[in-house]
Amino acid sequence: MNTDAHERARKLIALAGSQELSPADRISDQPSSNAWLAAHLETCASCRAFAENVGETIRGLRAIPIAAERSLVSTTQMRVRRRALELQRQRERRWLVSVSCTAVTLCALLSTVALWRGFEWLGTRARLASSVWQVGFLVFCVMPALLVGILLLAKDKHLADHTGSYTG
Amino acid sequence: MAQESTEIARGLRRRDPDLLDRLIERYQHRLLRYLMCLTGRRELAEDLFQETWIRVLERGHQFNDKYAFGTWLFAVARNLVIDHMRRKQPASLDGLLNDGEAAFDVPATGQASAFDTTLQREQNEHIAAGMQHLPAEYREALVLRFHEGMSLEEIASVARVPLGTVKSRIYRGLSALEPWLKGAAL
Repeated sequence: MNTDAHERARKLIALAGSQELSPADRISDQPSSNAWLAAHLETCASCRAFAENVGETIRGLRAIPIAAERSLVSTTQMRVRRRALELQRQRERRWLVSVSCTAVTLCALLSTVALWRGFEWLGTRARLASSVWQVGFLVFCVMPALLVGILLLAKDKHLADHTGSYTG
Repeated sequence: MAQESTEIARGLRRRDPDLLDRLIERYQHRLLRYLMCLTGRRELAEDLFQETWIRVLERGHQFNDKYAFGTWLFAVARNLVIDHMRRKQPASLDGLLNDGEAAFDVPATGQASAFDTTLQREQNEHIAAGMQHLPAEYREALVLRFHEGMSLEEIASVARVPLGTVKSRIYRGLSALEPWLKGAAL
């Protein structure tokens, strides 16, 4: 008997381990392999011993009990619930932000159109050239941002003067 | 099984905490055993156990109900272990070797004569000791096959390796444990 035959038999035995190795006819899905292994085991004492050892080893493996403690389970459940709540809140917040953004965008669009019409009406009433009221409209739109910018710069300057962090 | 998987998938998409509670209860021992077999350390396994369920909650929508939940759960746990090992040192499961710490505690087995019990316990201790000396990939294959009763295909899907590799890991793992059975390698 060559080494390959033993190797093949041992591989079949190992892979069939979950079937407890009892009936040789259940060892593989292929009937030819089963028959071959059964025949081999009848004549080969070392492979028979290997089969017994594999069976013992698997029983030993299954006898290693690792159990989760109750405290671990309850802590995990608590953490999962807390995280689920966090995720739900995040989702709600995200929804609120997206609704607000949509509303702000819509409002901005509507008010821009209304303002444009208003400036156009004023320009016509005051008999101004269209470029004049259009520039007025632009300045009016940009004004809040300009004011905020100036205020922020002034605040920075004020802070710098008082902390002395700027030397220049 | 398919219907159960569908229900789990639906619940996971809703992030249903009651469903997660039930799943944690159901898979508690199996998941911890798997994590312990991969990490070899109880405290680390317990940390990763909790992280796994948080990950399940966060990524539950990725669960495909065509597969068994257990297979997906073990794959999630495995990825977390690999992430953990990468943070420690760049590695796959190869890095999960033993540090001599007793990971597998073997209590006495019941309902047998005192002699048989002692013998059995001794043998189990030897095997538990042998397990700690196996490479993590072999331990993983053995636990999934013989504890979890997974098919070779399922193991291949959890471990993301070809079927042939799973077969060879099981064979080599069992062969490596053989000397430990008799206490010869102790």
